[in-house]
Amino acid sequence: MSWTGRLRCTAVVKNGRTVILDNYSEGALKLMRPVYLDPAHPTLYLVHVGGGYVDGDSYDMEIFLEPSARLMVTTQSAAKIYKTPSTPVRQYTRLSLGEQSVLEYFPDPTIAYEHARFYQETTVYITPSSTFVYGEIITPGWSESGELFRYDWIRSKLKVYQDEALVLFDHLYLDSRQHLTSMLQLGGYTHVGSFVALSPFITKEVLEQFNQFMEEMPKEVRCGFSAAAVPGFSVRILAYETSAIEAIFQRVQQFIRQQCGEKAPVCWRKY
Amino acid sequence: MTDQQLLWLLQLSDSNFPSGAFSHSFGFETYMYHEQIRDAKTFGDALVVYIQTQLTYTEGLACRIAYEQLEVDRMEGLRRLNDTLFALCLAKETREGTRMIGGRLWKLCRDIYGVDELDEIVQTTRSIHPAIVFAAVGRKIGAAKQTTVLTYLFASVQTMVQNAVRGIPLGQTDGQKLLVMAQPYLIHAASIIETLDEEELGAAAVGLEIAQMQHERLPVRLFMS
Repeated sequence: MSWTGRLRCTAVVKNGRTVILDNYSEGALKLMRPVYLDPAHPTLYLVHVGGGYVDGDSYDMEIFLEPSARLMVTTQSAAKIYKTPSTPVRQYTRLSLGEQSVLEYFPDPTIAYEHARFYQETTVYITPSSTFVYGEIITPGWSESGELFRYDWIRSKLKVYQDEALVLFDHLYLDSRQHLTSMLQLGGYTHVGSFVALSPFITKEVLEQFNQFMEEMPKEVRCGFSAAAVPGFSVRILAYETSAIEAIFQRVQQFIRQQCGEKAPVCWRKY
Repeated sequence: MTDQQLLWLLQLSDSNFPSGAFSHSFGFETYMYHEQIRDAKTFGDALVVYIQTQLTYTEGLACRIAYEQLEVDRMEGLRRLNDTLFALCLAKETREGTRMIGGRLWKLCRDIYGVDELDEIVQTTRSIHPAIVFAAVGRKIGAAKQTTVLTYLFASVQTMVQNAVRGIPLGQTDGQKLLVMAQPYLIHAASIIETLDEEELGAAAVGLEIAQMQHERLPVRLFMS
């Protein structure tokens, strides 16, 4: 099968510093030179060289972290999905985390425009000692008529395996033809945020602190969080705008970094 | 269907069947607490969407897949399905509630119907999803696949309605009217489930998931989830 874009790389530790090896990309996906926002840990920016995702596009990404590697990954801009009259856009991502490795994966929001259909599958392999932090935002694009939710559907699956056992499966399916405005679905909200953090650092005590930390939430969002089946938690947010979700993501990410002994604030330095 | 099969299914779908499901609202109590569900109308609207989402894509589809795996005696597929169903529960209370209900249902059905096909899975994973137990009972008593799925959907809705009668509260007559209202949706859901791809398993209702998560921190609770 030929892909619209393909990308692959490996993060390894060399002299106490994580570096990127085997960087390979083809088609519409590119990897920018890693940026060292932190002297020891690179940040990778994934770049889509086209203007957006169109009918029939397919993408395949693979990122490996060798033991103790530490990496942040984001994208250069939002993924804009345009109408897909014949074939949905598909994107497959595989992330493999070695022992004691740390991956923070925060792609920019996915914006689905009128009549867009988007299938995304992200498969993650972790070990009990690795730390995986992930945030995803899905937003509707404006249509010519000015109405929201003119996309057909978005299906996003996040599967996390620990030692071959499926430990977390977040299956988001937003279908504009099926009662999306019900309170059981978006209930009037437009933007969906999903956040997952799995790490041996997230102990019972940390979870209790997290409960308190999350007590004060802005009124204009609806937010739920709960402990995962392995050490960690997931957070689900409904909001009216991307920035409201990003603000919560940043706070939660900050909380996790402090728990993992990191004091430095996160700053993607994108804008 | 034989009279005997009918009686078995009636017993299994009785809302007093002691699986413990009557202690769980599966997130609905959060809506009741915030008075978004407050009467027969608001509950009925939510119930319809519940049938069209959670019951169709997770419970019902899981029951159908389990039945098909049992038909060809594929224990590995069944075990994978069971793991997947628990991984799909992002809210801890719902995950543990489902485990408790599944465990009790399995023990009961083992005693009553002699269902022993799931012993190995329960022994190795120490948890079993109720949809799988239901499928095993359906197979055991010789009920057709679609009948088994429809019975499971009805049993789930019956419990939700009884919980609403106690939780909102509603009158018993309102409860029965809601069950009648749900009938066409249940029949439609059962026929949709028959056509679904296995890849659609577990498509979540986002708002309900948040309600299930928020339930953990409700100051006053009648239900365990």
